[in-house]
Amino acid sequence: MQQFSVHKIGPEIKIAGIDLSFTNASLFMVISASAILLFLFIGTKKKEIIPNKIQLIAEMFYTFVAKMISDTAGSKAKPYFPFIFSLFMFVLFCNMVGMLPYSFTVTSHIIVTLIMALFIFIAVTIIGFAKHGFKYLSIFVPSGVPALLLPLITVIEIISYLSRPVSLSVRLFANMMAGHTMLKVFGGFVISLGLLGGWLPLGFSVALTGLEILVAFLQAYVFAILTCIYLNDALNLHH
Amino acid sequence: MNKYFSFTIALLAIQNDLFAAEVGMPQLDPKYWASQAFWLILVFSILYISLAKFYLPKIKNNLENRENKIKDDLDDANKFKELSESKIREYENILENAKKEVIKIYIESKNSLDKDIQSKKEVIEKEIEKEIIKAQKEISDLKKNSISDIQKISENIASDIIEKISGDKLNESSIKAAVEDISKKNLGKYL
Repeated sequence: MQQFSVHKIGPEIKIAGIDLSFTNASLFMVISASAILLFLFIGTKKKEIIPNKIQLIAEMFYTFVAKMISDTAGSKAKPYFPFIFSLFMFVLFCNMVGMLPYSFTVTSHIIVTLIMALFIFIAVTIIGFAKHGFKYLSIFVPSGVPALLLPLITVIEIISYLSRPVSLSVRLFANMMAGHTMLKVFGGFVISLGLLGGWLPLGFSVALTGLEILVAFLQAYVFAILTCIYLNDALNLHH
Repeated sequence: MNKYFSFTIALLAIQNDLFAAEVGMPQLDPKYWASQAFWLILVFSILYISLAKFYLPKIKNNLENRENKIKDDLDDANKFKELSESKIREYENILENAKKEVIKIYIESKNSLDKDIQSKKEVIEKEIEKEIIKAQKEISDLKKNSISDIQKISENIASDIIEKISGDKLNESSIKAAVEDISKKNLGKYL
């Protein structure tokens, strides 16, 4: 799985004995972020009443994320809009840049998605406790549950809450990795079946590329909307 | 055929070489985890700050501007609509007033014309009456004159006739009396 391997670019950077070298993963993070910044730079360069195409797309992303947040987490989540927007754009662009041949998919690495998910998990927990104090623990005790089942439900709720970062990160990572691996496998079939039999897997590869672009968008959306839902739990404490 | 075969072999060789490099999942190799975490946090922080401080407010402003512009335009359109409606009402009022005035002027002019005609008619009628009276007078004068003329002529004729027939000359006063007598008797026949 050469496409997922990380290798150093340039000199080795070591801070306090930890290897923080610039790698191809870092390079594609920078490329994705730069692509977002470039896209938004062009999209906001001319502030026209009747937008041009790129401005329209930038504004569509803006309203899309804004609507997603207000629909799932309400008006209280407005201060977190820049974070969710950055998150959505970053994941989306990393996924999309990863679709280019010979590129590297940043989000196909569990460590990357895990750090994002852990950050969200910790931040949401802190927001929850800051907003509601110890009452935030009532998130584990759903209302309208028979007293007999309550201990069991509470345990399940705690486990599900704690597994949020894992599910969030593994969902994205596994989707991206599986898609790219599948493309790789079909690409291998094209070569090994040669000119006679290679056309069928080639067709599959084309179809899968389309599917993967859909998945790239969908997973970015899912990642962002789950963040919104977790945020909603922390901001509007109700079950 | 041979060419294709060797091409396939070459491709397979390259592919095998690629597979040789793919052992296990590089994602689970912790060698670059710290580096990835560090660069992720760095890049994402820069992205977040530049979006939150710079690009998103710009987009937000622009969207709000557009919304305001649309609202203003709609307000303006409504204002203009009301304005045009009031203008139409004004115009209709003017039209109505004009119609009323036209009717008034028509009636007035008709009345004045009628009066004029009446007065002129009266004047003419009076004149005609005067003329008629004058004419009647003239006629009656003529009549009187003609009667006396006729009497005179009759007297002369009568005296002439009497003179021719009898050879005598009667005195004029007796003839005059006789003619007057006869003409009085017979005047009704001629007039």
